[in-house]
Parts: sequence; structure tokens; C-alpha cells
Amino acid sequence: MISPFLRSTALGLALAGPALAADPSLDLVGPLSDYKIFVAENTAQLVSDAEAFTAAIKAGDLDKAKALFAPTRTSYERVEPIAELFSDLDVSIDARADDYEKAEQDPGFTGFHRIEYGLWSEGSTQGLEGHADRLLADIRELDSRITALTFPPEVVVGGAAVLMEEVAATKISGEEDRYSRTDLWDFDANFEGAEKIYTLFRPLIADGEADFVAKVDGNFQAVREVLAKYETPEGGFVSYEELTDSDRNILSAKVNTLAEDLATLRGKLGLG
Amino acid sequence: MTDTHPPRTGLGLAVAAAAMLVVAGGGAFWYATQRNAAANPEAPADMTVSVGAETCDPRDITVPGGNRSFRIVNASDRPIEWEILDGVMVVAERENIAPGFRQTLTVQLAPGDYAITCGLLSNPRGTLHVTPSDEAAVAASEVTLRKFLGPLSEYRVYLVLQSAKAVKAAEALREAIAAGDLAAAQAAWKAARIPYRQIEPLASRMADLENAIDPNAVYLAGQEGDPGFTGYHRLEYGLFGQNSTDGLAPVADRLVADLTDLSARLKAVEIDPALLIGLPGAMAGQLATAHVPAGENRYAGNDLDELQASLDGIGKLTGLLRPVLAGVDPGLEGDIGAAQDKAERDLASLKQGDAWPAYDQVTDDRRQQLAGSLTALQTALDRMQPVIGIN
Repeated sequence: MISPFLRSTALGLALAGPALAADPSLDLVGPLSDYKIFVAENTAQLVSDAEAFTAAIKAGDLDKAKALFAPTRTSYERVEPIAELFSDLDVSIDARADDYEKAEQDPGFTGFHRIEYGLWSEGSTQGLEGHADRLLADIRELDSRITALTFPPEVVVGGAAVLMEEVAATKISGEEDRYSRTDLWDFDANFEGAEKIYTLFRPLIADGEADFVAKVDGNFQAVREVLAKYETPEGGFVSYEELTDSDRNILSAKVNTLAEDLATLRGKLGLG
Repeated sequence: MTDTHPPRTGLGLAVAAAAMLVVAGGGAFWYATQRNAAANPEAPADMTVSVGAETCDPRDITVPGGNRSFRIVNASDRPIEWEILDGVMVVAERENIAPGFRQTLTVQLAPGDYAITCGLLSNPRGTLHVTPSDEAAVAASEVTLRKFLGPLSEYRVYLVLQSAKAVKAAEALREAIAAGDLAAAQAAWKAARIPYRQIEPLASRMADLENAIDPNAVYLAGQEGDPGFTGYHRLEYGLFGQNSTDGLAPVADRLVADLTDLSARLKAVEIDPALLIGLPGAMAGQLATAHVPAGENRYAGNDLDELQASLDGIGKLTGLLRPVLAGVDPGLEGDIGAAQDKAERDLASLKQGDAWPAYDQVTDDRRQQLAGSLTALQTALDRMQPVIGIN
């Protein structure tokens, strides 16, 4: 039933000549759609984790809220290239104090990092109830907007490099989670998000770009090995302050190389 | 199936031809999100924007539509990101520009009004006015495989998710039958049909599975007694025609197995633009000529509920295709929208309160009216192939 359609189109493509030569391959459809399913699974997890996290805040359970902060964020950090397409929600969910004129005291400062500031710097859940409600509502809205979104192919493929740039700019410096020092959780989640994209599209270039994939595979492996040293038995990560200077330097070098290499992925897949 | 794809060697040329990337004028936002891959600070740019502590210079920008580049200079004392926004959606951005540094962003812009961010979130935004141009018009009207990648991928996601729902719903139906709970099984049967009807435009083309999953007794030599009478309607016959769950367990088992097969096959099938374009019109035609005049669920009578699910399935497809069409033939895009709205309205007008009446209460006149609006929808949808078909 299907194949006659496919053959006729393939013939059309083959005969169409130079005008279509710049077109990327239909082979991209499989990994692009698998990526959306991955993102949907993460945002569904984010909603349920955020429900537990915000419930702990509203119950005044400081220890539980602090324990749930980092694991809740990971589902957001994994899919950041898509999540940050919605500028209003990205700001209200994940902006940092330095994006605002009055920093921590700015009334516009909301979301994860405002709650992080309250839990760690102020050591209390008091006054965070409104922020918790807003965060949960924003996350639910994000989930439904992502479900309805046709993912832009170039954002998906470009997302691998974007995540590594994000790590280089804000995670290795320890700037992201400055109150809780849970930066390595976010680092790992960004890293997993980048690796997921790379792994999905890797089969499309593995034959023609053997040197490239060998290099990228090696750098992913090197980062994974360093991160593994800082994992806790419970599956989380130790404080960012325990990251040694030499490991920070290794991570920085590998992550920057990965960011540069992964930035070429779009061009290699005809999405430059 | 690899022979059905354009040769890989063509990909190298894609980089050189990046400047020819296309944007649907006024279409879905994703055509405009051609984000910059390379951030060469020394590349020549159409426009330099300096971001200071409180504002952008210039703050109100006008450029012609097409492939435009912006050199962003961070003249403030903290790291910034610079974004072009279409409403709340980010069209393009450069993140983490350090103080004193500059980066270049290249983006395909369709004509329209955009906002730009200028440093701190509390700073006022600037404006970006993109004027119509020949370059933008050509980009919008070009039909390329690239424009179909988003829609094809999104439709595959829909097929995977809805077919998984169809399997789950059939499992719930099987459980109710195994428990001998007639009322629960009747409700579960109606619910189980919805996800199937939504993906029927493609599912019904898997002929062997279709014959096991969805055969109608009317088309079988032995009618209800025919050994080939299996699947949904065999269960419907037992549950609604004979008011019993007796003997239905093996039929339900087989349905779950067939739907599981279907789900795997839909996940594996490679859909191309010509197929995607052909699906909604074919489905509308099938509804107009078969389902609406004669009815399909002769024992349960819940046809209207299922017709709504079919229209939803058609709407998913047209929702994906209309943005591609909008840049090429806005008139046809409008015609399809109007025809679809008309079909939706005609169906909705049959509702009694919040509920659909049984199909035998729908008069021939009303059936003809609905069939007429579905035929009109099919006619409009079938005009797409010559306009945006890649063949």
C-alpha cells in the first residue's frame, strides 16, 4: 500500500535536479520524531516531579523541598533547547537573579532559582508558596505547549551544541545553581540531553563521517567518566564545590570541543 | 527502503546552499527558526546591534525579509543573550555573549513585526520590522523537502502515540470482556474506537491488518456468521447486537494482537510528502461516500462520535500541511480552512446538548448535507497535491 507512494516520490526527488540538491534526507524524520517522544516523556516527568516538589514547599517541609529541587530540574535541563523556545515560560521558570536589575530582590525574579534562593539562602519555605504555585502552573503550560509544537528540525539538531554551550557558559563556572551548589545535576542533565540528540542522528552520519563520530564519541566518554567520579550512591551528585580544579579543566576542554564539533551537525545533516 | 531516499552525497551541497533556506511567509513559526550554526564574529553582517546596560542601539530596526545577519555587540558589563521574538516564541537567539564580545546571528526572516530583547529582562524590548521582499517571497513559495520534515516528524509522533493509545484501550476492552461486565465492555468498546479512527487515514492502508481489525459484516459473504468477521465490529455485534460478552474473549485477544502489530508497523513506515498530502483528502472522501450515507456502527449506533474522531484525525493532517501551503497558495489554504470549518459545523449541529444521538436518528437529509460538506472538503484537499506535491 505504502511503497508505490514512496517510490513515485523517490523518483520525483531523483529527477528533480539541482533545485532539490540542498534538501536534507527523509531519513531525518525517524530521529526527529523519536526526539519529540523523548522530550514529551521528560516534560511529563517534569510535571509529576514539580507536583511533589511544590507540594513539599507548600507543606513547609524544608528538607524534602531541598532534596527534590535538583532531581526535579533535571527533566527541564535535559530538554532545554525546546523548552527555551517559549521565552515567557523560560524566563518565569528558569531565569537567574542577574537577569534582573534588582537581582534577588527584583519582583520579576521567579521560578526554580527564586525558590532555590529561598530554600538555601534564606533557609525557609516561608513566602515561597506563591512561587511554587506559579512554577507548577508554568510547567503544566510548558508541557501542553510542547505537545502541540511541531519541532523545528534545525532547533532539534542544533540543540546538541546549544546544550554543550550552556554547560560551558553556566555550569562549569558554577553560576547556575549558586545557592544550592547542585550544578553537577544540571550539568549531567544537559549532557544527557546533548548525547540523546547526537545518538539519535549518529547513524545517519556514521558511515560518511567516521573520524568525526570517533572524536565525538571519545569526548562524550571522557566527560561521562569525569562526571561519574562525582556521582553519589543514591544516583545524584555531590556539591559543585567538590569538583577539583583539574577535573574542571578537563571538563571545560572536553565540553568546549564537543560544543564546537556538535555545532557542525546541522550542516552535516543538510540543515545548515 | 534506503533506495527511496535522496542520495547522501547531496547533503554536502546543502551547506553551500544554506542561504537558499526557505521561510513560509506568515506561516508557522518554525520556518523562521533557522538559527545560526556558526558564530563567526568577523563575518560581515547586515546590521550591527550594540546592547548596552539599559537598551539596544539601534532599538527599532527595519530590514527586508530573507536571510539576514545581525552582529551583536555586548557593550554592557554582564553576559547577555540576544533574541528575536515572534510573540512568546523565540525565532532565533545567541546566548552567553560575554561583556565586550560580539557574535553574529543569521536568520531567515519572513515579513512581519518581531520584538528583540535588549540585555536585562527588565529592560524595554526593541522592535524588528521585516518588510516584504522578493527574496522572502521566493523563499516562502519554494516547495522543498526540508519544509516537510517538521510536519512528517510530527505526524509520525501522532501515529506512534495514538496507536499506543489504541492498543491500551483495546486491552481495557479485553479486560472488561474477560470479566463478563457487559456495561463496562460497551463503554470500553466506544472509547477504544476513538484513537483508531484518528489514525485511520494511514492505518486503513495496511490492507491485511485492516481486514482483520475493521471488517464490516455487510461486505462479507456470510455476513455476521462469516469466519472472516473479526475485530472491532465483531465485538460490537456481540456487545450491542447480542448484548453479551459470551465468546468474545478470543476476538478481543486477536484485536489486541493486531493493533500491536499495527502500532509497530506505523512506527516503522516511512512517510513521504506525497503520501502525507494525499491522506486527508482520501479520508474525507471515504467518509463522504461510505460512512456518512450508510453508517458503519450498525449495532452500537455511535457513528457521530466516531465521525468527530475522524475529523480530528483529518484536522491533525491539515494543521501540519497548511503552514507549508500558506506560502505557496494562500487562497487554497483559506479554502481548506473554510471547508474544514463547514464540515465541523455541520457535524456539531447534530449534537443534542452534550451528547450525540444514535445514528439511526439522523435523517437522510442531514446525512446528505454532511456528506456534501465532506465532499467539498475532499475537493479542496485534493487540490494540494499539484501545488505542494514534490513529485
